[in-house]
Amino acid sequence: MPGVFDRLDKEIKLKQQADGITALDLVDLPPTLRKIMRLLLRELQMSYPSLLEAIESLPEADRLTPDQLDSALLSLTQQFWLTHIGEGKKAIYKVNLRKKVGSKLASGIWSSLDEKLKRKPKE
Amino acid sequence: MSKGKIVSIHSFRGGTGKSNISANLAAQLALTGKRVGVVDTDIQSPGIHVLFGLDEDKMGKTLNDFLHGTVTIKEVGFNIGENTGDEEGRAKLQGKNLWLFPSSIRGRDISQILREGIDFNKLNEGLQTTISEFDLDYLFVDTHPGLNEETLLSIATSDILIIILRPDNQDIQGTSVTVDVARSLDVPNLFLLVNKALPKYNFDQIQNEIQNQFNAQVTGVLPLSFDMAENASKDLFSLRYPEHQWSQSLIGVVDFILAAK
Repeated sequence: MPGVFDRLDKEIKLKQQADGITALDLVDLPPTLRKIMRLLLRELQMSYPSLLEAIESLPEADRLTPDQLDSALLSLTQQFWLTHIGEGKKAIYKVNLRKKVGSKLASGIWSSLDEKLKRKPKE
Repeated sequence: MSKGKIVSIHSFRGGTGKSNISANLAAQLALTGKRVGVVDTDIQSPGIHVLFGLDEDKMGKTLNDFLHGTVTIKEVGFNIGENTGDEEGRAKLQGKNLWLFPSSIRGRDISQILREGIDFNKLNEGLQTTISEFDLDYLFVDTHPGLNEETLLSIATSDILIIILRPDNQDIQGTSVTVDVARSLDVPNLFLLVNKALPKYNFDQIQNEIQNQFNAQVTGVLPLSFDMAENASKDLFSLRYPEHQWSQSLIGVVDFILAAK
């Protein structure tokens, strides 16, 4: 039976999905943060040490100090654009993409369409 | 770990020949021995499966099933190399490493996606996992025309973006928007490909003009072809008629993809 923690977990997930990042938000990020997000999108998830390593491999002008990286990760996390498991140097980060919302057409339209499609004879 | 490259094929407007070009480029790369996947992210109006000989009966699990969480991406991959069918062009893919990840063509599945929306975390997971699960060298992403959220995601994660346009003022204006967005998203390799150019035009001139206008590499100019229209997506044109001007120009694009870092 679902308990209070399950409900809370579900609520947090819904909140995260509603506040996730969109590809258009990526356009407005500073170049280095965009590179981090792009890397995370490709790798799906990265540990803090891997992120540090990735930052160090960037051209000098794009590099962040560990303090700047921490501050960037904190800011991205607070906006729910990144999620993380664990804390500090043991954290694993993942991009949180905003869900594409469904059509705002009245639900009756969809159920009516579903009914029609169900009845459609197979050609 | 070396990762395969994501190649997004995009056009700002519909009818540019995007799916035909995606399918033919993927097939040509598979012929060179590369491991290639093709994902149809045009969930609202899927079509690329037709070029690989699939219909509703032959289609098994789809990207829609993956997005609904009922199957793994491994189950969605349809092995073209083992199911080429009888068409002369596609038959050349026998034994090649080419997989299609189709979107559902069932009306109910399409309406469900429109109604419920898309979990982009799941979609991105699917794209990235496809590369690792199938050990792909290249994953082609056939997108919906225009700029929408799923298209932007595929642009944002791609290594190579090929924008298809016709030598038409509406296409050219729209393409400039896409080029701007792609540059803002730091796509490492941005290519343009002109399709459906009237044979009476000077193709070198078209190539130079568009290249200068966008300051981006034009990888080829493909002619408007009645032969291509007559093929009516029944077969992979460049495999069936490899000596045709359309095919030769398309095969030239493969070199750009192979050379991209």
